[in-house]
Amino acid sequence: MSVVNAIVEIFQESGFMSLSWQNWVMILVSFGLLYLAIVKKFEPLLLLPIAFGMLLVNIYPDIMADPLMMSSYEGTVDPNAHWYDAGVLRLIYAGVKSSIFPCLIFMAVGAMTDFGPLLANPMSLLLGAAAQLGIYVAFMIAILSGGLPFFDGFTAKEAASIAIIGGADGPTAIWLTSQLAPHLLGPIAVAAYSYMALIPLIQPPIMKLLTTKKEREIKMDQLRTVSKAEKIIFPIVVTVLCVLILPSVAPLLGMLMLGNLFRESGVTDRLSDTAQNALCNIVTILLGVTVGATAEGKTFLDLKTIAIIIIGLLAFAFSTAGGVLFAKLLNVITRGKINPLIGSAGVSAVPMAARVSQVEGRKYNPSNFLLMHAMGPNVAGVIGSAVAAGFLLMTFGK
Amino acid sequence: MFNIILALANKRDIPIGEAVNISVTGIVVVMLVLALLAVLVLLLSKGIRAVESAAKKRNGKKADSESAEAKPAEPSKPVGTALPESASAGDLDLYNVDEKTAAVIMAIVSNESGIPLNRLLFKSIKAIEK
Repeated sequence: MSVVNAIVEIFQESGFMSLSWQNWVMILVSFGLLYLAIVKKFEPLLLLPIAFGMLLVNIYPDIMADPLMMSSYEGTVDPNAHWYDAGVLRLIYAGVKSSIFPCLIFMAVGAMTDFGPLLANPMSLLLGAAAQLGIYVAFMIAILSGGLPFFDGFTAKEAASIAIIGGADGPTAIWLTSQLAPHLLGPIAVAAYSYMALIPLIQPPIMKLLTTKKEREIKMDQLRTVSKAEKIIFPIVVTVLCVLILPSVAPLLGMLMLGNLFRESGVTDRLSDTAQNALCNIVTILLGVTVGATAEGKTFLDLKTIAIIIIGLLAFAFSTAGGVLFAKLLNVITRGKINPLIGSAGVSAVPMAARVSQVEGRKYNPSNFLLMHAMGPNVAGVIGSAVAAGFLLMTFGK
Repeated sequence: MFNIILALANKRDIPIGEAVNISVTGIVVVMLVLALLAVLVLLLSKGIRAVESAAKKRNGKKADSESAEAKPAEPSKPVGTALPESASAGDLDLYNVDEKTAAVIMAIVSNESGIPLNRLLFKSIKAIEK
C-alpha cells in the first residue's frame, strides 16, 4: 500500500467524508452556542455542555448510537447487540429518558431556593400562575400551525410538549417532553435552554411595551421577615396540596420540595450542600451534554424544529406578557403598591428573570430595589410551570 | 377561510374546539391551584405568627412574674471581724511617701469616691518625681 493510498483511505473513513451537510450546519450552530456561553456568558453552566454535546454528536454521530433501539425513533434493531454496545452518550441519556436527571435537578433547585419572598408576599403565587399564559397560547399556535401549507403540523402530544417551553423551565420541559413526545426532546430542550439564556434580551422590550414609565418607577415596600417555622412547613404543605390535586406532578414538585426541606429544616446541612453543589453539578453536566447530543443534524434540521424554535419564542413572549399584565392588574387593585415589572419574573428561569426585573426597575428609578420582590413570582413560576406540566401530562399522558 | 378550517379539522388529532377548551381549562387549573396555595400560605403564616407571638407573650409574662416572685438575694455575711470605717484592709506599700501623707491621700480618695475606707483596698502609694 502506497502512502498516497493510505492517506486517501484515512480521508475516506474520516468524518470529512461521512458527515452530511446537516451535521456541518449543526457544528456551526454549536460554535455559535459556545460563543454565547463563553464570550457572552449566557447561562454558561447549561449552554456550554449542551453546545459541546451538539458538537460531539455531529462530528461523531455514533456517540449516540442505539443498536437496541432503546430510545431511538429511527433505525433498525441489531439482535446481536448488547446494551453496552450503545454509544456512551446514549447510555448516559437513559437518565434523561427515565426523567431521573430532571427530577434530580429539581431537587437541587429546591435546595438552592429561598421561598421567603414568596411567603412574605403570597400574592406572588398569582403572578407565577399568570406567567404560564404562554404555555397555553403556544399550545394553540402549535395546533393551528397544521393549517399552514406544506406543513404537517403537530399532534396534540407534540403541541403540549412544545407549549411547555413557555414555562421557561428546562427540567420541566425535558420531563414532559420525554413522556409525551420523546422524539422532539432535542429541539425542545435546546429551544427551552437557549431562550432561558436569552431572557435578558427577550423580556425587556415586552416589559417596556406593556408598562408606563410611571408604573416602572413604582417603589415597593420592604418585605416582612419570614419565620423559620413558615419556611419549614411550606414545602410540606405544597407537596401535600399539589400532589393531591395533580398526582402526576409528584416526581417534579416532590423533588423540588424535598430539596427545599433539606435546606430549611436545618438538620440536613450535608444533604442540602450535596444537592446544591456536587449533585447539581454532576447532573447538569450529564443532562447538558446528552440533551445537546440529541441535536444530530439529520434529525434536528427539519421544518418542525424551525417551527418549535418560533413557537417557543412566542411562548416566552406571551408568558412574559401574562405576568406583566397580571401585575398591572394587581397594581390597580392594590392602588399602586405593585411594580408591574416584577410580573415578568413569573416565568421561572430562576434567578435570571428576577434579575431582569431588578435591572429594568433600576433603569427608571435608581433607588428601586425589586430583586427580592421579583424572587417571589420567580419561584412561584417554578411551581406554576410544574403544575401546568402536570396538567398537560394528566390530559395527554394516557 | 373555510378551507383552512376544513384543512385544520382534517389534519388535527384533536378538534380545535377541544384544544381551546384544554387551553382555557389549563390556565384556570394553574390559577386555581396557585391561588389556593396563596390562601393556604396566608392562613398558615397568620397561624404561625399568632402562635409565635402568643408564645413570646407567654414567655415574657412568665419571665416578669418569675422576676417579681423571686426574693432578692440576701447579701453574703461578712466573714471575720468587721473593720472600723476609718480603717483600711490589706498591706500598703509606700514609695517615697510618709505615712501621714499616705493617710491624707487615702482619706481624700474615700471622701471623693464616697466609699468608706473599710471597703477600699490600697495596694501602694508612690510619689511621682517631677
